[in-house]
Amino acid sequence: MSRLIFKISPFIFIGPAILLLFIFSIIPIVMSLIISFTDMDLVGLANWSKVSFIGFDNFGRLFNDPIFLKSIVNTLMYVGIGVPIVICLSLGIALLLNYSTSALFSGFRAIYYMPSITNIVAVAIIWGFLYNQEYGLFNYLLSLIDIEKVPWLEDPFVAKLSLILLAVWKGIGVDMIIFLAALQSIPKMYYEAADIDGANRWQKFKYVTLPSLSFAIFFVVVTKLIGWLQFFEEPFVMTGGGPLDGTVSMALFIYQEGFEYSRFGYASAASFVLFAVIIGITLVQFTLRKSDK
Amino acid sequence: MKKIKWIMIASLLVCFAFIMTACGSNSASSSEEPLKIWAMGAEGQKLKEFAKNFEEEHGIKTDVLAVPWGDAHDKILTAVAAGEGPDVLQIGNTWVAEFGEAGTFLDLTEYVESEEYPNLNQDNFFPSSTQTTVYNDKVLAVPYIIDTRVLFYRTDLLEQAGYPDGPATWDETLDAARTLAARGPDKNGFEIDQGSHHIPMMFAWEHGWDYDISKGAENFADPKFKQAMELYHQLFDEDLAQLEAGKETVQAFADGTNPMFISGPYMVNTIKEQAPEIEGKWNVKVMPKAETSNSIAGGSHFSVFHSSERVEDALTFINYMADPETQVEWYKEAFTLPTVKAAWEDPALKNDPMIKVFGEQIEMTKAFPVMAEYEFMAKELLKTLEQINRGGKSVDEALAEYQKEVEKILSE
Amino acid sequence: MSKKWEVSVVGIILALGGLITSIPFIWMILSSFKTEREALSVPPTLIPNNVTLQNYIDLFNKLDFDIYLYNTMIIVFFSMIGLLLNTMAGYGFAIYRFRYKEILFLLVLATLMIPNQVTMIPTYLLVNTMGLTNTMTGIVLPGLISAYSLFLIRQFMATIPMDLIEAARLDGANEFRIFFNLILPLSKPIISIQMIFAFIGAWNSFLWPLIIANDDKLYTLSVGMSLLKGQYSTSFALQMAGATFMVIPILIIFTIFQRNIVQGFNMTGIK
Repeated sequence: MSRLIFKISPFIFIGPAILLLFIFSIIPIVMSLIISFTDMDLVGLANWSKVSFIGFDNFGRLFNDPIFLKSIVNTLMYVGIGVPIVICLSLGIALLLNYSTSALFSGFRAIYYMPSITNIVAVAIIWGFLYNQEYGLFNYLLSLIDIEKVPWLEDPFVAKLSLILLAVWKGIGVDMIIFLAALQSIPKMYYEAADIDGANRWQKFKYVTLPSLSFAIFFVVVTKLIGWLQFFEEPFVMTGGGPLDGTVSMALFIYQEGFEYSRFGYASAASFVLFAVIIGITLVQFTLRKSDK
Repeated sequence: MKKIKWIMIASLLVCFAFIMTACGSNSASSSEEPLKIWAMGAEGQKLKEFAKNFEEEHGIKTDVLAVPWGDAHDKILTAVAAGEGPDVLQIGNTWVAEFGEAGTFLDLTEYVESEEYPNLNQDNFFPSSTQTTVYNDKVLAVPYIIDTRVLFYRTDLLEQAGYPDGPATWDETLDAARTLAARGPDKNGFEIDQGSHHIPMMFAWEHGWDYDISKGAENFADPKFKQAMELYHQLFDEDLAQLEAGKETVQAFADGTNPMFISGPYMVNTIKEQAPEIEGKWNVKVMPKAETSNSIAGGSHFSVFHSSERVEDALTFINYMADPETQVEWYKEAFTLPTVKAAWEDPALKNDPMIKVFGEQIEMTKAFPVMAEYEFMAKELLKTLEQINRGGKSVDEALAEYQKEVEKILSE
Repeated sequence: MSKKWEVSVVGIILALGGLITSIPFIWMILSSFKTEREALSVPPTLIPNNVTLQNYIDLFNKLDFDIYLYNTMIIVFFSMIGLLLNTMAGYGFAIYRFRYKEILFLLVLATLMIPNQVTMIPTYLLVNTMGLTNTMTGIVLPGLISAYSLFLIRQFMATIPMDLIEAARLDGANEFRIFFNLILPLSKPIISIQMIFAFIGAWNSFLWPLIIANDDKLYTLSVGMSLLKGQYSTSFALQMAGATFMVIPILIIFTIFQRNIVQGFNMTGIK
């Protein structure tokens, strides 16, 4: 009897979550996968008999769509630049915050967490001011040291970097908190042991801190890559994908095709291209981690 | 820590109890259900109170659901997908074709001609309003609000430029804008909202162009259309209007940075509220003339959801809202312009000098073509203009590409 | 452990960084006390020229506050139940070995990989078929499980020494007692973080309640705030007042729970 309970207990633990995820996430995903092979639009949505299967047409069209191709390049750039920066910075800040548990430092924790809870409309407006080419604070500060006006959001290339900067600012808080919790959970005795062995600061970081953080780093890297590959909010509120489609990301492309143009089949197809990229990258990470162990 | 455990277990139990009751309470439906109406934004919120008068007069209970403007399209989309919606819904006038093609709206053709609902008669409304209610020869909606754009200008600054009553034509506008832009490096002559597809469309109409549905993409090969886009480009090319993001509209208007811009009726109140210091130093005027002074006819309609079981009550409500008196009351309440012609005879509208200008402009408006693809074409047009103004493409080249793009959109 | 002057240097660095980081946040709060015009003026003012409370007065006058708050609190409450389910599942994935575990877990992660907008309409159709539109159940149920939080919990739980659990099993504790009496107290830091995240998510819930509700009796605070906007009027200062108001409870929750984060895993009792 107790053996049986032991055998089924994992399923009691994961059962409710898996069941709910299956119904409300997996089934809709499968539905969208089916939709991606159809020409579903608004008319089709209202009357399913008018929807027809068109095989891989959507996918074929996608790879001939210059804006989609551009969105892939943009997205890779967001991820390639943004993810390393955000992970290093949040880890760095977490390490600094870990120095002390005084009231002052817990105040700092709240401050660094603030950007991630600042209302996105407020974010859009204030960063719009900061980036304003003519009157913005950034260009004003640069003009003090005789640097010419930077077209923060007016140039397709610079705009991408500007959005990354904004996203880094907004994204640090969450990861910082996770790293902080991980740092705090490293038993003090590890450091004491390292001290006895005469380890210096760098050695302690390399041989105690980093390995103890590996589970947290793995989590942050995986979720950051998943999150940044779906980079959406920043171009959505700041640039709408412009100028000249210079900031359009894959997720923004999907949103625009799906909800502005009601091309549901096409948008679903695009999202499965994105899905394929994400799952590919995630699988690589899981495999690497396994071979690490 | 034990406490946490018990709180969690207790809350789990409450959760299931909750789900049970939530399911249960939903299935109980009464026979006296109110008429369901979806309206939009802050205005929709006001309609909730406003509909009380209707309830008293007609003994029909209403339930107005206000939906935020930005999300109304998504909300209707899910209703369309489920085939279940409200009885009456407010829609933007460019949505008629898009949702109409999907069969979202009840065909109202027989009702607008019937004696029973006299206010629905199409002759009561401005023609540019009713034009956008008809799709595939069916009347799918009834006008509710009209919205148009006029020229806002600073009287004091335009006087310096030699046009104390504002420019009447585009030539005069350009002339004034050049003088005003020459005031200094951080001064402009005109402000263009580059995110609005209304403005290039208005420019085109003013040049005598109009969209002919039977011609398709060919429409954009019309030299008149090109002329209009050249004018649009000229404003940026000559640095009369600012291409990059600058100051906010009201601020730039109040401090004189941008002495002219194009906007709608809501802006009258906004300027009065936010920039009282320029009281008496600004005015509105009908759009500058090229061949015509045509502006857009935007606004909202009411329609009946196809699966509504309360068609008569729904029509009674729409009929009530289309009454000239109600339209004036609603204007006073929500400051949206009446689309019923007779309402404009009311002193509240007639005697307000600025609103009168909007009245004049409404007589010179064009409606967007009623076609499902219109919004896509409009969005594409904005991208084309971006190519011209920022991407350095020539007008000819960009328009040729645009024509191809439209062909693609129309062939889908 | 560290020298005093070192802490001071780190403190100064953090203070400078914190100042830069928090400007937009402070600006949001200060803007809520500005007039509409001033809130939008370029270059922006940091300190309001004319302090006004009008935005807050408008906020409370125009909002059906009690109903929206009530609904939002219910969603918050359910998000905490969701958190319990997430924690259980995270624990299950971290501790047990069972067949198809890897595949199941990847399936969980896969739900993070499709943009939400794509699955919104299918999910709506599903909820509609179940007859759950216009119910609180329909609003909370689809969002109950978060793969993100499940993954995070799994990662932390995986660092709990197995010896600890084995020892408890030898003492005769069953699996659920182990989870509730041993694991949950141990995992206080990570659960605190999750509580903060879950609270924020639920507190700000917007689009889904809006889509599911056909009656404003089910609207949340965020939906109510967005109804303050007219078709063309932006009422920015009013929105900032709303955003500031919305952020206060988050800061309170954060301050309460973050204390647990630094306590670390309570490893006393490890043999």
